[in-house]
Amino acid sequence: MNADNQVIISVKDLKKYYNGEEIKALDGITTDIKKGEVVVIIGPSGSGKSTFLRSLNLLERPTSGTITFEGEDITAPSTDINMLRQNMGMVFQHFNLFPHLTILRNMTIAPIKLHGLPKEVAEKKALSLLARVGLEDRANAYPSQLSGGQKQRIAIVRALAMDPEVMLFDEPTSALDPEMVGEVLDVMKNLAKAGMTMVCVTHEMGFAREVGTRVIFMDCGKIVEENTPEQIFLNPQNDRLKAFLQKVL
Amino acid sequence: MIKSRFCKQCGTKITGDGSVCPKCNSALPELVIPDAGKKANQIFILGLLSILLSFVPVVGIVLAALCFFFSNKELKLVSSAGKARTGRKLAGIGLALSIFGTIYVFLLLSVGNIPLWALNTGNKIAKWAVGIPADFENNFITDSRYNYIVKGLGITFEVTVFAALLGVVLGVVVALIRSSYDTLKDEMRSGFGNWLLTLLNKICGIYLTVIRGTPVVVQLMIAYFVIFVASNNKVLVAVLAFGINSGAYVAEIIRGGIASVDKGQFEAGRSLGFGYVRTMAFIIIPQAFKTVLPSLANEFIVLIKETSVSGYIGLQELTKGGDIIRSRTYSAFMPLLAVAAIYLIIVMFFSKLVSILERRLKNSER
Repeated sequence: MNADNQVIISVKDLKKYYNGEEIKALDGITTDIKKGEVVVIIGPSGSGKSTFLRSLNLLERPTSGTITFEGEDITAPSTDINMLRQNMGMVFQHFNLFPHLTILRNMTIAPIKLHGLPKEVAEKKALSLLARVGLEDRANAYPSQLSGGQKQRIAIVRALAMDPEVMLFDEPTSALDPEMVGEVLDVMKNLAKAGMTMVCVTHEMGFAREVGTRVIFMDCGKIVEENTPEQIFLNPQNDRLKAFLQKVL
Repeated sequence: MIKSRFCKQCGTKITGDGSVCPKCNSALPELVIPDAGKKANQIFILGLLSILLSFVPVVGIVLAALCFFFSNKELKLVSSAGKARTGRKLAGIGLALSIFGTIYVFLLLSVGNIPLWALNTGNKIAKWAVGIPADFENNFITDSRYNYIVKGLGITFEVTVFAALLGVVLGVVVALIRSSYDTLKDEMRSGFGNWLLTLLNKICGIYLTVIRGTPVVVQLMIAYFVIFVASNNKVLVAVLAFGINSGAYVAEIIRGGIASVDKGQFEAGRSLGFGYVRTMAFIIIPQAFKTVLPSLANEFIVLIKETSVSGYIGLQELTKGGDIIRSRTYSAFMPLLAVAAIYLIIVMFFSKLVSILERRLKNSER
């Protein structure tokens, strides 16, 4: 475990309803995420995993409850949402690279426009990040020229180029060919080893087991069970979790 | 079929069918056949000559036939040379013109001595054909009547260009308001900004409904005879009326373009920390622009043709100019066909431009 136990995100009684109270996507989530933690969220589809992850950087507006990020209540109306998002990198299931820009532009547009970095510096930084994921030779390619695994690696380093405090992963390997899953998971493992705080929605149980410091099992908009990977996978308590693990393992 | 080809980078002759040049190691360009260009040029010139000489009986026909004969053989060989094809097309036009020219000259020669069999049917055609030069002179030369066409064309361009500019500006503003409303109404806190955006959205909605629900001629006449009744500047009124009309269509085109960009792009931009405006400017608009540009160009072409109804407010643009000539000379054939031909040429020119543009944009995706 990480020695630094500082809480970076604190979520209290988070609720997200659609159509009044008809659909409860999130029904009272409370949890703390500490610096350096790798929190893996698992659960059946429709359990609210993605909604929870997306409310952390307010891509979804919660109906009620509070999220505190580095001591500041970000659900308050006065929050600078754009500033918040600069500190939270996000990786999507469908990569969402910008198809009209080269890989290098994809990675430098935000640091240049938002951090005000000079172009050369931003590019140098982007190239060293690309080297970390073994794609420095594709700097001037366009996203359509890359494979799915390459696109997702680029999406990860695009978020990293902003030097975020936390990385959010929304099913990063679900849209990939099976043989490309490994290369993306490797990048994520290295990131975790480097001490990045990560919140990751995934169906890769192997990854959850190996890299996760904590696993959250969600069902019907609630946290059903929350524990270390060993306890979750070897000694599950809840019946719903047992049934789920039986199906996926 | 292809015997040998050349690397376009270093000029080396390539034998065999490799895809990389052995000398300069660059990827090989498309296949080039020696002398193909020269032969294509000859066919092209032959086709051109058949047009130029089409007024000389028989010669034009012979030239065109020669062009067809040669190109038929060459086309199989010169699979990539477009110039030979163009030459063939020219020869086609030349052939048609030559046949017409030959008949015409024949009629001219026999006009004093028309055989009896031709009197009933041929007589009319012959008289009409013989009368063409006089008709042309009467319609376009006498009293400098071509000025109606030339000046009219100028005004048509003036109205179209400024109306298009106004239309694009209006359209972009309306489209941005409407798509901002669609994406921002949930996100915004209630307050003045929210209230203002809702109001603007309502106004834009009414604008689109009214403008797209009424004919442009009626809008033009309302603008001239009701709203700007005090103004005598017909060009300005036409620009305003057509611009406001075009703006409604442009707005829907642009809104469609913005909506066609994947929602994930917007989220990716926002998740990096870009605000709404910057996400639109850096990420959404550049992508929407590509899909929208051909439709926008088409809207411009429609606008050119639509300005032909300006005659309703007495604006002397191209169509009205032709109509004035008709009312002076009592002969409709020449002026109206001339006007139609001019519109056709302009529209064909811009259509060609649009298709080139579309191809370019498609290529830049890769």
